[in-house]
Amino acid sequence: MATTLVPETPDTPKIPESGERAPVFSVRDLWKVFGPKAERIPGSAEAELSAAELRARTGCTAAVREVSFDVQPGEVFVVMGLSGSGKSTLVRCLTRLIEPTSGTLKIDGEDVLAMDKTRLRDLRRHRAAMVFQHFGLLPHRSVIDNVAYGLEIQGVGKAERRAKAAEVVEKVGLTGLERRRPGQLSGGQQQRVGLARALAVDPEVLLFDEPFSALDPLIRRDMQEEVIRLHHDEGRTMVFITHDLSEALRLGDRIMLMRDGGIVQLGTPEEIVGSPADDYVRDFVRDVPREQVLTVRRAMRPATSDEQDGGPALAPGTTVADAIEAVARTGGPARVVDDGRCLGVVDHACLLSVVAGLDGKGAAAA
Amino acid sequence: MARTRMQLLMAAAGIAAVFTATGCGAADMTKQSSPYANVGGAKSVTLSVQSWVGAQANVAVAQYLLEHELGYRVDTVQVDEIPAWDALSQGRVDAILEDWGHPEQEQRYVKDKKLIVPGGGLGVTGHIGWWVPKYFADKHPDVLNWKNLNKYAKTFKTAESGGKGQLLDGSPSYVTNDKALVKNLKLNYQIVFSGSEAAQITQIKQFAKGKKPFLTYWYEPQWLFNQVPMAEVKLPKYTDKCANEGTKDPESVDCAYPTTPLQKYLNADFAKQGGKASAFLKKFHWTKEDQNEVSELIASKGMSAQDAAKEWVEAHPDVWKKWLP
Amino acid sequence: MSATATRPSTDPATDPAATGTAAAEPRPSLLSSAVRSPAARKLAVLAVIAAVLIPLAHAKWASGSWPHALTVDVSGPLGDASDWILDNRDSHWIFLYFFGHISNVIIIGVRAVYVALLALGWAGVTAGLTLIAWRVAGVRIAVTTLVSFAICGLLGMWVPTMQTLALMAIAVTASVIIGGLLGLAGGLSEWAFRVLRPVLDTMQVLPAFAYLLPVVMIFGNGVPGAVLATVIYAAPPMARLTALGLRGADAGVLEAVTSLGATWRQRLLSARLPLARKELLLGINQTIMMALSMAVIASVIGGGGLGDRVYQALSSVDVGKALAAGLPIVLLAIVMDRTIGTAGERLGEPPAEGGHRLLRGWPAWAGAAAVTAVITVVGRLTGSQTWPTGWTVAIEEPVNQFKEWMVDHLYTGVPVVGGTADWAAHYVKWILDPLREGLQGLPWYAVLLIVAALAWLIGTWATALTATAAMAAIGVLGVWEPSMDTLSQVLAAVFVTLVLGFAIGIWAARSTRLERMMRPVLDMFQTMPQFVYLIPVVALFGVGRAPAAAAAIVYALPAVIRITTQGIRNVDPAALESARSLGATQGQQLRQVQLPLARPALLLAVNQGVVLVLAVVVIGGLVGSGALGYDVLFGLAQGDLATGLVAGTAIVCLGLMLDRVTQPTERRDRKGA
Repeated sequence: MATTLVPETPDTPKIPESGERAPVFSVRDLWKVFGPKAERIPGSAEAELSAAELRARTGCTAAVREVSFDVQPGEVFVVMGLSGSGKSTLVRCLTRLIEPTSGTLKIDGEDVLAMDKTRLRDLRRHRAAMVFQHFGLLPHRSVIDNVAYGLEIQGVGKAERRAKAAEVVEKVGLTGLERRRPGQLSGGQQQRVGLARALAVDPEVLLFDEPFSALDPLIRRDMQEEVIRLHHDEGRTMVFITHDLSEALRLGDRIMLMRDGGIVQLGTPEEIVGSPADDYVRDFVRDVPREQVLTVRRAMRPATSDEQDGGPALAPGTTVADAIEAVARTGGPARVVDDGRCLGVVDHACLLSVVAGLDGKGAAAA
Repeated sequence: MARTRMQLLMAAAGIAAVFTATGCGAADMTKQSSPYANVGGAKSVTLSVQSWVGAQANVAVAQYLLEHELGYRVDTVQVDEIPAWDALSQGRVDAILEDWGHPEQEQRYVKDKKLIVPGGGLGVTGHIGWWVPKYFADKHPDVLNWKNLNKYAKTFKTAESGGKGQLLDGSPSYVTNDKALVKNLKLNYQIVFSGSEAAQITQIKQFAKGKKPFLTYWYEPQWLFNQVPMAEVKLPKYTDKCANEGTKDPESVDCAYPTTPLQKYLNADFAKQGGKASAFLKKFHWTKEDQNEVSELIASKGMSAQDAAKEWVEAHPDVWKKWLP
Repeated sequence: MSATATRPSTDPATDPAATGTAAAEPRPSLLSSAVRSPAARKLAVLAVIAAVLIPLAHAKWASGSWPHALTVDVSGPLGDASDWILDNRDSHWIFLYFFGHISNVIIIGVRAVYVALLALGWAGVTAGLTLIAWRVAGVRIAVTTLVSFAICGLLGMWVPTMQTLALMAIAVTASVIIGGLLGLAGGLSEWAFRVLRPVLDTMQVLPAFAYLLPVVMIFGNGVPGAVLATVIYAAPPMARLTALGLRGADAGVLEAVTSLGATWRQRLLSARLPLARKELLLGINQTIMMALSMAVIASVIGGGGLGDRVYQALSSVDVGKALAAGLPIVLLAIVMDRTIGTAGERLGEPPAEGGHRLLRGWPAWAGAAAVTAVITVVGRLTGSQTWPTGWTVAIEEPVNQFKEWMVDHLYTGVPVVGGTADWAAHYVKWILDPLREGLQGLPWYAVLLIVAALAWLIGTWATALTATAAMAAIGVLGVWEPSMDTLSQVLAAVFVTLVLGFAIGIWAARSTRLERMMRPVLDMFQTMPQFVYLIPVVALFGVGRAPAAAAAIVYALPAVIRITTQGIRNVDPAALESARSLGATQGQQLRQVQLPLARPALLLAVNQGVVLVLAVVVIGGLVGSGALGYDVLFGLAQGDLATGLVAGTAIVCLGLMLDRVTQPTERRDRKGA
């Protein structure tokens, strides 16, 4: 899996400059505790207990504990963790499919937890649409009617919603299958229907709950590319839940790694791989081919004066793998150039130390 | 919440609609006739049939004449005697043609509630008793006295009677005091219910085929006597005193069954408004021989009831012409 | 008890139980496992209870049949209640303003349908129903429908068929609505489900006969009571399947629907109900089948129609007449079952191309309606509304002649195998009589103890308590003897059913060809109402307990065979393969792998067998099986509701007890379908 990493990682990580636009989702100290008298746990002494102790002591399970993060407009925000880490619960909390126990949760600055039923329904209908692991399609409806279902619920007229659905069906590549029933489609096709259904309501945010983990690897790859293409075309904000590290690295602008309901690390793929926050993360990313994730920005050393002008130029976002190719071809060090300014150089030694994992013990990139 | 209030309103409206549809006031069950009656403009009469063949013969002939001479459509419903009284009082059945005497029902429906009126006698006299086959009685004449029955208990033993003598009883719907009689007369007999008259007849015929002894509850008029001649066992003499006590406590009965002139009964409304049909049924009156003739055609010649009725009607115009209004 | 369980039993000297049994060679492992097994512990507890209570009971009331001192005579109060109802039926408000309206609505409804059917005439009804069958289920079913209704007419049963149809229409509509609403409540509310489920489960195992008396008591003989009894009998499967269907809906789909912002109502109408549509349709199908079954039995309380013709024929043991009325019942059952079943299978499929499109078929529907209208008019112009009188075939005579021939040739003295009457006599003499004597001879507390032990072994203490209480109730009501009689008939018939059913089921599980051959036969037998089974057995076995047993066996056999076959077929092939790889013979595979693994299915088969056999043994009262069934009939016939109700209650108790004693932990749907 680790070897199938993305060659076409976007050249410039789309980390939006903060302050320019308000975050889409703004989550602070969010808790979700299952079990008797769950509301007592957050903020109490028990909150500090480990999962096993908490269960033994109170009978409760904290699926999400004290989670805070922002999702910026236009970014692909990946939440990653093993099963049971609370990531699926978290994404359901965002539209209150699961009611959070405590904390604050805002969408475009509006308090989600304070919404009444109508307002909440409005949020689900227009602002955030979800794609599910097991598709959640209505077996008795044709593809086109499944896609149009969200619009039907909104009360859109039949002709209009059919037209809109046909448009989306084409976009996800299901043309010709409109009249089929979900049962007659392959898993990949079904998930395209699920995706089309979410897109049809033209939501502000797309939420994906492990959408491709039920698919086999080749189809999963197709679907990932589909998502990348969609994001490229439309720039829609996405929150993507996955347990697959390669998928997370491939899709995510930022990745939030969860364990036992809490955040372990939140950062760009490069930060996660390059500077694991603790041994858990380090263990997690051990098998990742670092040269395909890390960039020369991280590998470079300051240029000596004679290196300022010679050798091939590389953008700071170039992966180490690509840099190795350039360096190997010329035989000498390559310059890292941003806006015509030379930031530094990479040579055999720098690049090899990245590949070997000898870097980064303290070198933290911005 | 708004939704619940809506639902409540709708439910209330629904209930109201039902009541409007059925008429807001009282709905008297005793005035509701059969849904199948008088459909499509046809005048129809509903007759109750009891399970014994004699009763079927009455109904067959009445039905044939009502349909072919008077232009009615006749529905027949199989109802046992006592439920038939109930159905008659409710108008779900228009007439009972052969009643063997039900004083309690007569008191309630005819005298107290006046929902049922007597329709006159059928012309046939009924008698219930215990009988043994003639071939057996001829050899053992003393069996005809109940006091000697215990002597023959072993002879009448069967697989079903478990060591005692078997007293064969018939349909559950028949008037019977046999349990009390066996107990009060201290007879070493077990009553075996065959479940229906037909079953009883089958059994009797099987016994007769092998000339085997048997003791059975039976009654006249009955066509079977023509095929299997039987002799009646004398039970302690019937008295009014014993009968009156029996009405109070059925377990005290220790005397023979009475001889009953069979009666007809009509629903009160039908008797008034039934036109020609009710007039015809009131006049319906025939003899034991007539009835047996039809019964035998049905039961032993395997004719359908209507064919049997037709045959009898064609042969006896002198009898039934008098019944037509 | 835990002390007993953990006591080290390796040392026989300190183990009093072991010293007694194992003198030469101590077998500690066997003993300790026996002590540790829950079954043995349960039995031990029971043994202790019995040891304390039985001497007491014996001393106080003596053994043998249920002691008279422990009975309660309910005939007085029940008789009074029945008198009160008869006296007040035309005056008390509860009859005038409640029951009266119910009865009135039923009569109006049945009458409306009946009038409509007669107005359509035989041509219109046949054409209309054939076209409906064609629209929802295709050409083959349409042809079946056409032929079936033609046969109903030919047999001279047109009017009774229409009466039964009218009664069914109202009863099924009411059952589906009431059952559906109850199911909706149970499907949407956890609380309602918890309340409903045991009630519905129990109602499903009760014999149809038990429902007749209460409604007769209130409504009297006639159509309203018949419809009501039918609804009470037929609504539970609808409620049960609706609730199960709604609860079984794919949670993922529901979540997806919620995530799109659906309201409660949208979720219900566009997702929950459509997701449960298979179960809903199965519910409707089962409701129709049970309604037909009951509508026919309800002839005993004046339901009229085809059932009444069968009833009349049975009471004079006229097999020809019974068959002429029974055939239309069977045909109705087949037509309805196939139509709805096929419609259900089509639900999952997408609309077919060309030909007939189910969803957009309104022009076709309109066409069907037009054709029906034309045929109706033509039919009315050419002749009578009911079936033309000349067009009937009298099958009574030939059938009766055939029956006579059978009586002459098959009853007795057939070489080697003997005749049917001989079988019946042997069955009565060698199986039924000893069993009945045994049961009636057993001390009453022994019976209670056996029931408790069986129920506890297979279930929980609550099961045991219910079963024992049901059995005790029978004693208290004073119908111990007839109940033991009925019980003996049930047990004997169940025994035969299971022996035959397991044998055929195992055989069918091993031979695909046999299974394929049997499938249509089983399908047909499973759709037939209980009542019609009585007809052929009377022809074959005459009257008495043997024909009732035969009917019960034939009625219960298909379900037992089917469950057995499925159970053995569903055994994990890997387990079988590994057994084969170890060189197990066919017999060893069956004994050591298939049967043990299919145990839950076999238990279910026993449960179904018992429930179905009881239902028929009880209506066997109509053909002379005596005991409780006879008492119910007696109560109905004599208007002696005290006798009837007590017997009916005893049947209910017996049903409860038998169900609990054989109830496997997981219950599946009744009678497959």
